[in-house]
Amino acid sequence: MIELPERTRRISPSRLHEILLEHDGKSLVDPFMGLPTHLNYLKRHGIAVHGGDLLEWFVRVGEGLISNDHTYLRDAEVAEIVEMLPGRIYSLDLFKAWEGVFFTEEQCVYLGVWHDNVRNLRSDQQTGLAVLGLWRAFCYWLQKTQSPDDMQDIPPSELAWSYIRQTEQWVTSNLRRNTVRQGDVLSTMSARNADALFLAPPPRNSFRSADARIWMWEAWWQGNPYFTIEHAYRDSLLGARAADTHSYARAIASILSSAEKFPLLIVQTTEQRIGEVEPLVRNARPRVKTIAPHPYEIYLVATR
Amino acid sequence: MTLFQDTGGDPRAARALVADVLAWFGAVGDAAMGNAPGFALRKASLAVALAKTAGSSESEQHALYLAGRLHAIGAIGNRAFRKGDALPERVTRMESWDVPAQGARICETIAALPHETPDIVRWQHEAWDGTGYPDSLRWTGIPRPAQFLALADRYLHAADPEEVLGHIGLESGRAFNPETVRTFTMWFHLSAGDVEIAEMPIDGLLDAPTDAQSLLERFADLVDAHNAVDGRWRRVALLADATAASLALSDEELHELGIACRIFGAGEVDEPTVEDDAFDPLARLGVDHRARNARAASALALPIASLRAASAIVDARGEWFDGTGKPSGRARKDIPIAAGVLAAAIAFERLDRGERIDTTAGTQFDPVIVRALMEVAKQRA
Repeated sequence: MIELPERTRRISPSRLHEILLEHDGKSLVDPFMGLPTHLNYLKRHGIAVHGGDLLEWFVRVGEGLISNDHTYLRDAEVAEIVEMLPGRIYSLDLFKAWEGVFFTEEQCVYLGVWHDNVRNLRSDQQTGLAVLGLWRAFCYWLQKTQSPDDMQDIPPSELAWSYIRQTEQWVTSNLRRNTVRQGDVLSTMSARNADALFLAPPPRNSFRSADARIWMWEAWWQGNPYFTIEHAYRDSLLGARAADTHSYARAIASILSSAEKFPLLIVQTTEQRIGEVEPLVRNARPRVKTIAPHPYEIYLVATR
Repeated sequence: MTLFQDTGGDPRAARALVADVLAWFGAVGDAAMGNAPGFALRKASLAVALAKTAGSSESEQHALYLAGRLHAIGAIGNRAFRKGDALPERVTRMESWDVPAQGARICETIAALPHETPDIVRWQHEAWDGTGYPDSLRWTGIPRPAQFLALADRYLHAADPEEVLGHIGLESGRAFNPETVRTFTMWFHLSAGDVEIAEMPIDGLLDAPTDAQSLLERFADLVDAHNAVDGRWRRVALLADATAASLALSDEELHELGIACRIFGAGEVDEPTVEDDAFDPLARLGVDHRARNARAASALALPIASLRAASAIVDARGEWFDGTGKPSGRARKDIPIAAGVLAAAIAFERLDRGERIDTTAGTQFDPVIVRALMEVAKQRA
């Protein structure tokens, strides 16, 4: 059985928004955006947001939630994603490697069908929304492996339909330009100017204990069930080369020194990691305020 | 003026008064959101019952109970619910997603609340699968007490209690953590689905420098802002206090009138328009409207011990001196003087030309009160 981590990353965008309001921040760059639901919250509240990530599926979802102002999926379009369409040739064995290990045969077939259907959608925005909705169905299946008796058996197409249809509610415009890009942290930071930079850097060697719900969905998007997250991070700033404490600190320091153009810097960390992150932030900025509502949700708010 | 009786330095008595004010404000939040009376009480009670079933600590239960009582206070002042903002349906829905975060912000300013309460309020509508609001947290990122509150909300909003067990079961792994649903199922079978009302955990409140009166006044300000009549209660209270003093009301009556001035606006929070925007404050046409608001405000305060006497004053503010008012048609000496003072002060505050109130002496208002009020107004001018 697959193990799902006890503690997952928590970013509270309503709290982030409060910090931005306090500092009159009207735009924000997040180069480690992950699943950009927090950026969607900020977008809804009028902040211009720019996100970046190395994993492509996060960026795809961002195209649905962040850079998309008006497009959503209608019922008929959702129906074309969740079921096999007559006349289309599917690679039904694409995810056979996962069969019996993580998923049933039927689920693996659906993963292949969805993979093909999503790639035939008309726009990047629709693709992003569909990727998000299908990911939630995928997470439901993984969760069900943990609690098989507590969760209902919902037909795959019905589950996917309800989740994709739901994505429509997050589509909104803030009359600002909002962007997402696939790339390393430094390239995202150099590509955009903003009032604030939000950094939630992954812990050292975190790719080795990454949540299966994250890396497996990248594998799904890539159509490669043998994909591992090390592939994506190998040559990145916080990849294998930052495996030891000093290299990791050097990598974070280099990010902070490249962040000078952002008037406001918000670094999210935890009580466990604040010891290694806070000195670096204080070294980079003269004024640092700590907001610590929880041991696992601490914000270092740094200004010039 | 000190409104509440002196607690004699007893911290528990002081906390009990704060608890009363919090309970009142929680009920006002429910009214603003359109929930049935007593909803917050039942929600808090059920959430605590679930927490007990799950073996939560007593301090966690206290924080959760208070979050339950205050679950809807974010609706007060929220654009989706406050007066004066006609928004499209989609925008209204999105604005309503901010209710929990706004409630949390208010909770953070209440020093008497346990540290955990604001975030339970903030995340009470988060869903296990990340589809909730406001923060779209997912999985273990959502604190367990917030999930209990979410489940209590779903249970109490269910149209058919018979089918609710099945519906909540369907949400296992979606809206709710499977473990939380298991706890709910256990509670449901043990209690047959009956929510046992829990007492306010007075000992769960912290000793704080904020007293009940200043808390009540802060909440009254929020209610006025919600009703698009900023600072109204303060203007009404100034007039009413001075008028009552000139009429030689007893200290007890003055205190009750003082509280009534701070709570009468709560009856309007679920109204689409401001009371006196709809009708001239001296017009007979508005009598039903005023009586409805008076009764609503009174009903919110009635279950709360330290506000009960004031609720009777608020209730009678729609009565007319000549007996043709509402809701009870009481006349002359049957109407508490404090209620007459409050009603006249509210009407006077709204009038462009204050002297018009003179035309209502003997019909809508007691001539003695009108004379005293006009004298006070003249002195203040």
